Amino acid sequence: MSTYARQAAENVTLPSSLDEAVAALAAMPSAVPVAGGTDLMAAVNAGLLRPAALVGLGRISEIRGWQYADGAALLGAGLTHARMGRPDFAALIPALATAARSAGPPQIRNAGTLGGNIASAAPTGDALPVLAALEASVILAGPDGDRELPISHLLTGMDPMRPGELLAFVRIPLLHAPQTFLKATGRTGPGRAIASVALVVDPARRQVRCSVGAVAPVPLRPLEAEQWVAGLIDWDGDRTLADEACTAFGEYVAAACIPDQPGVELPPAALQLRRTVAALSRRALGRALA
Amino acid sequence: MSIIDGTDAATDTLAAGSAPHGIGTSVPSVDALAKAQGTYPYAADLWAEGLLWAAVLRSPHPHARITRIDTTDAAAMPGVRAVVTHEDVPGDAMHGRRVADRPVFASDMVRHHGEPIAAVAADHPDTARLAAAAILVEYEVLEPVTDPEKAFAAEPLHPDGNLIRHIPLRFGDPDATGEIVVEGLYRVGRQDPAPIGAEAGLAVPRPDGGVELYVASTDPHADRDLAAACFGLEADRVKVVVTGVPGAMGDREDSGVQLPLGLLALRTGCPVKFVATREESFLGHAHRHPTLLRYRHHADAEGRLVKVEAQILLDAGAYADASSDALAAAVSFAAGPYVVPHVFVEGWAVRTNNPPSGHVRGEGAMQVCAAYEGQMDKLAAKLGLEPAEVRMRNVLATGDLLPTGQTVTCPAPVGELLKAVRDADLPPLPDGDDESQWLLPGGLSGAGEPGAVRRGVGYALGMVHVLGAEGTDEVSTATVRVHDGQATVICAAVDTGQGFTTLARQIVQEVLGVEDVRVLPSDTDQPPAGPAARGRHTWVSGGAVERAAKMVRTQLLQPLAAKFGMSVELLSIADGKITSYDGVLSTTVAETLDGKELWATAQCRPHPTDRLDENGQGDAFVGLTFCAVRAVVDVDIELGSVRVVELAVAQDVGRILNPRQLAARIEAGVTQGVGMALMEDLRAPRGIVKRPSLTGYPLPTALDAPDVRIVKLVEERDVVAPFGAKAVSAVPVVTSPAAVAAAVRAATGRPVTRLPIRPQAAVVKPPA
Ligand SMILES: Cc1cc2nc3c(=O)[nH]c(=O)nc-3n(C[C@H](O)[C@H](O)[C@H](O)COP(=O)(O)OP(=O)(O)OC[C@H]3O[C@@H](n4cnc5c(N)ncnc54)[C@H](O)[C@@H]3O)c2cc1C
Repeated sequence: MSTYARQAAENVTLPSSLDEAVAALAAMPSAVPVAGGTDLMAAVNAGLLRPAALVGLGRISEIRGWQYADGAALLGAGLTHARMGRPDFAALIPALATAARSAGPPQIRNAGTLGGNIASAAPTGDALPVLAALEASVILAGPDGDRELPISHLLTGMDPMRPGELLAFVRIPLLHAPQTFLKATGRTGPGRAIASVALVVDPARRQVRCSVGAVAPVPLRPLEAEQWVAGLIDWDGDRTLADEACTAFGEYVAAACIPDQPGVELPPAALQLRRTVAALSRRALGRALA
Repeated sequence: MSIIDGTDAATDTLAAGSAPHGIGTSVPSVDALAKAQGTYPYAADLWAEGLLWAAVLRSPHPHARITRIDTTDAAAMPGVRAVVTHEDVPGDAMHGRRVADRPVFASDMVRHHGEPIAAVAADHPDTARLAAAAILVEYEVLEPVTDPEKAFAAEPLHPDGNLIRHIPLRFGDPDATGEIVVEGLYRVGRQDPAPIGAEAGLAVPRPDGGVELYVASTDPHADRDLAAACFGLEADRVKVVVTGVPGAMGDREDSGVQLPLGLLALRTGCPVKFVATREESFLGHAHRHPTLLRYRHHADAEGRLVKVEAQILLDAGAYADASSDALAAAVSFAAGPYVVPHVFVEGWAVRTNNPPSGHVRGEGAMQVCAAYEGQMDKLAAKLGLEPAEVRMRNVLATGDLLPTGQTVTCPAPVGELLKAVRDADLPPLPDGDDESQWLLPGGLSGAGEPGAVRRGVGYALGMVHVLGAEGTDEVSTATVRVHDGQATVICAAVDTGQGFTTLARQIVQEVLGVEDVRVLPSDTDQPPAGPAARGRHTWVSGGAVERAAKMVRTQLLQPLAAKFGMSVELLSIADGKITSYDGVLSTTVAETLDGKELWATAQCRPHPTDRLDENGQGDAFVGLTFCAVRAVVDVDIELGSVRVVELAVAQDVGRILNPRQLAARIEAGVTQGVGMALMEDLRAPRGIVKRPSLTGYPLPTALDAPDVRIVKLVEERDVVAPFGAKAVSAVPVVTSPAAVAAAVRAATGRPVTRLPIRPQAAVVKPPA
């Protein structure tokens, strides 16, 4: 007979709707939501986390797909990377599909979800720069009802998730505009980003929006570089740029994300990161305009 | 993907039509199906009634003095059955493979991050882990010595001092000079063997006061002796039973697991099981020696080598382990498979507070290959010659001298190997307009851009010794039994996945003509066979099985031969039938046996070797193997991402014993080499291991693994080796990292002096 007092979660709830899930979290404030488990269970296995109870989100079908709402796509937080990587989704939001296809090996992409990627908010979360460049917003479901906030407010901690809240949906404006996502990993097999760049050319608002992932705790938006390059584009014409302009844009983005330190020489690793960001941004812009 | 276009034996097998049988055919591995289906039992799957779970407390510091260990709280936790520390080791407190310099549990000092300090047995794994964490250890944290260059002058980290071994090698005239001189500094990182299954084991106490250890040992008798000494028991009271081995690149089992396990079983009287976490696995087992190499090559105007000078510094980590062997290989092969009249090498293995280094396939030889091949490329550049041409002008051959003064007596078809890879067709460039179908460096949905991709081709020649060197008593014993038309092989040689059991079956099939051959699992009740390393079992254990089988054959045929008045040699066995040369006699094995059982036991012990003397001279090696690799890489010169497109391999194999198994060994070896070349490096800044997980430590995946093209297998038999066969696993590991580095050099024009190659080393900076 074992005298062992169980440390692992005894209590696993599997709600089948968002409301039930919110109620379950309210009933057990110490419970932790789990979607694909690819981040959470790794932390549990490593002994970093011992959740008292788990609320599994896998059976909530309303957040496993997407729908359209007023020119926007409403993506369920339970969408897996594998699902987002498929062609029908890629036709809708190509940059997010590309990010999803690169988010780890197939086994991980089959389980890992959009919501988990956002909630984990790892610097190398591949969906995050895309959502930032697309200026997505998140819809949180909580005991006091739903609320919607810009993704950047959530990621920067300006307006964090509150206890008892769940990520329910992500709203992404549907743009009939080129968008790209590029990720450098230093290897050919699946790997975490050394740096990534998401870029959107938005003719409706005459904007170029660029977001750089993995180089800082949250995705960075080089706003000045965006405005500068948007000013060079002939929005009413063929919307092409000379190679030199793309190169200059890359340098601009890179210098904004990895700034010079006054009085000190940047270490080689920082210079290399800067070159990587410059190359990615230049390529991303070139491909978006091609 | 694998392409073999250089082996006739592969096609022979297909032509034969019937099931593969005997030497030279692709007899499939018996356990392949069970492994594919997941039913093959590994140590982590074992269970015993009433078992307890062990957990090990490991040092969080790389270097500290232990001032107090208090186990009171841990021992008092409900469910905890025993807590053991250095005070509870009844026998020898110190152990080690070559030198007993490693404590079972740290007592007064910890010398590396992850060193075992105590162990707990409890009725649940989580309880055991929590109890281990509840052991109070007070440390006085000391400055770690992590730079091997500083180890010489640092305070001794161990009573044995910081210099584990120094080998000076002096060969030829120190004042010789060449017209062309190139110098280089090279660094090789810390590769982890990263076995797919982490360390695990089950210890079961015996009624006689002994203990049985069920572990994935690769050297069961050595592990038994070491365990018995620490437990204070006679060797025959400890039995090591070898379970399925989930991956082994060298000495597989971490003694920091086996010893606590046995102590806890003896202490509690209960079976005790341990399964390491991935993190513990990275912290506990031995790694490839990080190495710093300084070289100067002298050549004449035609590119013929005149002199090689080298300084080689191996970071042994905290304990000696196999560092002495690794250093001997590094120093002996410092100039590579080339003829060099004058060679001067200083080699050192030093103690640091870094993670422990030890035996990992191709130790020593791999690191120097990366360096001397870098030098050959430099030489080629300086002379304006093709890299393959410079190498061709210097290749070693049978009859030449090694820098250790030993004459190469075995086949050494180095020139032939190089020619084979040089002349092989190059893989085509990606074609087709659909660029999305190209696998660019950076991966499928990566950022690769065809315009920034450069292709490079590089060559490397590598060599490594077979069997233990420098006077190691290499011996193995095997028993063959025949009964009822079935043969059984008893040999303690562990099949680590290298295919020994398949080979043993093939040998017995060949010699005795018996189809049904069983190879029993290994344990220490059998006579010793030694470690599964350095191609030993193909040679010594394969040799012992062959001899035993031949003895049985003689016993079987002698009465028949006598009866018919002919010599045994005139009889042959095939498919269970015995026939005479003239066809007059024809009977079956079963009939001849007539219910009898035949047994024979034999040993194989190759000729002895010498320890390298004070000038690094001596006949230290029994055998040598060689390999040539041509790497083709694509490099994104802006991002520095590298994809190895193809590795063309030509290897000196002596004789092909099992074509499919041979190809698998080469593919596995070069893939491990690609890991070393591009991504594998266990980082330990200030002695603290960073990201010890399979997400933090990248290994080659299917997308990283190149096409492996075996362009030639040279079958020149080594007359002193059983079947004339040479070991095949290590030399591709030795050679392929250097070839990848050479190809990246060719693609980028960068020097590429460090392995693994980091993206920044493969970037071509735009002109400022
Ligand atoms: C081998 C490996 C490789 C990986 N490679 C990549 C990669 O290349 N790129 C990348 O971006 N990621 C990668 N990841 C990380 C991971 O797969 C992703 O972040 C994934 O999107 C996480 O989703 P999940 O559903 O598995 O999250 P979970 O593990 O289920 O949850 C993660 C966290 O989010 C919370 N959470 C989940 N869903 C919700 C919700 N709806 N509302 C509120 N909180 C929620 C959980 O409580 C938990 O704290 C990798 C992981 C592994 C193990």
